[in-house]
Amino acid sequence: MKEPFKIIASGEGGQGVLSIAKIIAYAAWQQGFHTIYVPYFSTEKRGGVSVAFAQIWDKPIPFPKFHKADLWVALSQRAVDRIYDYLHDDTVTIVNSFLVKDVTRIKKWKPYEIDATTIAKEQLGKPRTFNMVIMGAMLKFVPGLSQEGFAKALEKTFKDKYERDASLRELNEQAFNIGHDLVK
Amino acid sequence: MPESKPKRATKPEDFELALPKCARLSSKPHSFCQGCGHPEVLKALGFAIDELGIQDRVAFGVDIGCSLLSWDYFNMDSVETHHGRTIPTMVGFHHANPEGVAVAYVGDGGAYAIGSGHLLNAAIRNENITVIVVNNAVYAMTGGQEAPTTLPGRKVATAPCGADEYYIKAPEIIRNVNPTAFVARGITSVQAPLRTIMKEALTHQMEGKGFAFVEVLSQCPLNWKTLDKPEKTFEVLEKELAQAYPVKRY
Amino acid sequence: MSEKKFIMGNEVMGRAARAAGAKALYGYPITPSSEILHFWSGEACGEQGRKEGLVFRQAEDETGAGFMLIGGVLAGARSFTATAGPGHVLMQDAFSMAEAMRIPVVAFITQRGGPSTSTVIYSQSEVNLTCFGGNGNGFRVVYSPSNLQELFDYGIKIFNTAWKYRFPTFLLADGYLAKMMGEVEVYDPAEKGIKMVPTEAYMLEKDRKRPLSEVVPTPEIDIREDGGRQYECLRNCLNLEEETYAVNMEIKEAFDKAAPEIVEHEDYGPQDAKTLVVAHGLVSSAVRAAVDALAEGQDKIRLFRPITLRPFPEEALRQAARGAERIIIAESAVNQLARFVKESLYGHCDTALEEYFRPSMGILPKEIIDLVTKA
Repeated sequence: MKEPFKIIASGEGGQGVLSIAKIIAYAAWQQGFHTIYVPYFSTEKRGGVSVAFAQIWDKPIPFPKFHKADLWVALSQRAVDRIYDYLHDDTVTIVNSFLVKDVTRIKKWKPYEIDATTIAKEQLGKPRTFNMVIMGAMLKFVPGLSQEGFAKALEKTFKDKYERDASLRELNEQAFNIGHDLVK
Repeated sequence: MPESKPKRATKPEDFELALPKCARLSSKPHSFCQGCGHPEVLKALGFAIDELGIQDRVAFGVDIGCSLLSWDYFNMDSVETHHGRTIPTMVGFHHANPEGVAVAYVGDGGAYAIGSGHLLNAAIRNENITVIVVNNAVYAMTGGQEAPTTLPGRKVATAPCGADEYYIKAPEIIRNVNPTAFVARGITSVQAPLRTIMKEALTHQMEGKGFAFVEVLSQCPLNWKTLDKPEKTFEVLEKELAQAYPVKRY
Repeated sequence: MSEKKFIMGNEVMGRAARAAGAKALYGYPITPSSEILHFWSGEACGEQGRKEGLVFRQAEDETGAGFMLIGGVLAGARSFTATAGPGHVLMQDAFSMAEAMRIPVVAFITQRGGPSTSTVIYSQSEVNLTCFGGNGNGFRVVYSPSNLQELFDYGIKIFNTAWKYRFPTFLLADGYLAKMMGEVEVYDPAEKGIKMVPTEAYMLEKDRKRPLSEVVPTPEIDIREDGGRQYECLRNCLNLEEETYAVNMEIKEAFDKAAPEIVEHEDYGPQDAKTLVVAHGLVSSAVRAAVDALAEGQDKIRLFRPITLRPFPEEALRQAARGAERIIIAESAVNQLARFVKESLYGHCDTALEEYFRPSMGILPKEIIDLVTKA
């Protein structure tokens, strides 16, 4: 890898975009990569656009922020409108099409439009799993990250939740696989 | 036969009998103004400390303002802090050394104006310290400015047309936010009960019962402009002040 | 016990304090430093923390937290606080008392945007405040870490510097460092041969190893014997100009004496590079990356990074500047690091100083590369 692989996850505060980036960074670290994650947080805990930066490399990463992402995910319309500046010519873009209705601004990047919200609600019966659908799709594009390794990271991250409710593990797996299979 | 006038004490050894054992004789005569109430408050505190036998256990924090002049009043480990900041300093001390008896000695400006947030919150958290506030209804050290305790209409340096209508009744407030604290108001002119209050406050803290708060009504002849009229000083103290600020346990 | 963890900068600092054997944290929540408080309060109410008597106190404001911290140190506890931005402004009240009375307070600062409330994210604009806040002359020690590992390493070291030399000591981090997550090796300092400097109570000390009068400036301490026991009275309100002068000169003398032992810097990159870039903290990490990227070409650069901002590595900078044809100062603030550089190089260097000031903005490796190659 000549450069770190750079990921941006963006959306509304409280949607869990920070967790998405954090989990992917953690999973990569578990698989032996150097990773850095930093949230680009605003003054309020809630109500602002929320952005997270993650980088994965086989060498130590010099700086937590960057200007252009290789993989870019937007979970809200405001995120598309405000964070599109972080795209380079070949950035892979993914949006949750249930929340992002207008992709004109990023049309030339041919975004993957995934209705993760509807999938989570109707196929899985648990709206919060939409993030897992998105992560499944994202993982297709992160170099060097195996699905098994990712599953292990999830085990550690959700240890407490899985202990309380074991059915959540299966649900997450299902959601992940749906997202993973949606992108070709 | 003319009454024999009591000999005026000038040398440290002259004070030996009149002062508590924990007082530092070499720093006497004290440096407060003539007729000031502070030495009376400190004496009451000192005798209480003597009676409890805790001279070696007290960490004595003093505020800025006239209270700072008490920094070497006692033979006790003492520290002068910043204006209004003695209460948090002693709170921090107490948590790091719960065996010590942390005492904060503060004026009404330090406790009720600049340090009011500290006082109120230390009371709300029921911090296990003793706070002694000397209320002379004026900023004395800085030249007689208006305090939150200055009585309505009183003409002072920063209120030449008369002080504001309202004033703070701190023990009442402390009781309001902390139902279990030791809260009392004393007065310099009646020493024996003041000493008892001090002892009770320190005991409350030493038994680990939490916040102990004593306000003492005190005189400032200099800023009250009653230096040459001691009767007037005590009239203001016992009539005007004590009427606005009832001397009692809360 | 050494272990690699994937954790957030704030947790790194909390763990560093824990590894250093700190006993008390007095603080007030403020972004981006709050998770230090979260970590410590969790430790303090855990089983082990309760057994060890760990103290956590959330004050009513940063002024209160700063003075509680002083109280904790006076009682001899290895104590610290964490703050940022406007809260840091308030805490300078206490830090100036600590500076006057040689009280070894320790503070983790996570710089946020400034001035005023501003953003909670990042800046390097609390350099002036950390080094020179208060109404004194800046006799403090300030470390500027550049990555997560250094947050841990220097997070331990500041306690030793504070207690060995008895100056207020700061770890000047920033919001990115505080909030980012990455790999950090956490360890017990003893494993690395690091001995913790013992603490000593300023008040109610029963077993004093050296007289406090060797530390606290003489006009501020009064020690008397009574009944075979010594009583210490500490004051900071002085009567005379001469006393105040004496206090200042005693502190200055102690600081000047300690400075050569404390001062630290990093000199990174080819010594024959014609361009010298001066940066500190996280920005120096960006410069380090630029040094590596340019190492093979014609535009080689060299990084000079003060690790301690107070005392500042003046002599080392003068040497590094010798022979440099370009000197660039890069900082996420206006003239805060640069002021030190100018002061150090004044009369020692003819090269013009180029300023790259990006107040409250991150500086990326590419910006440094562009600065060097496109000029």
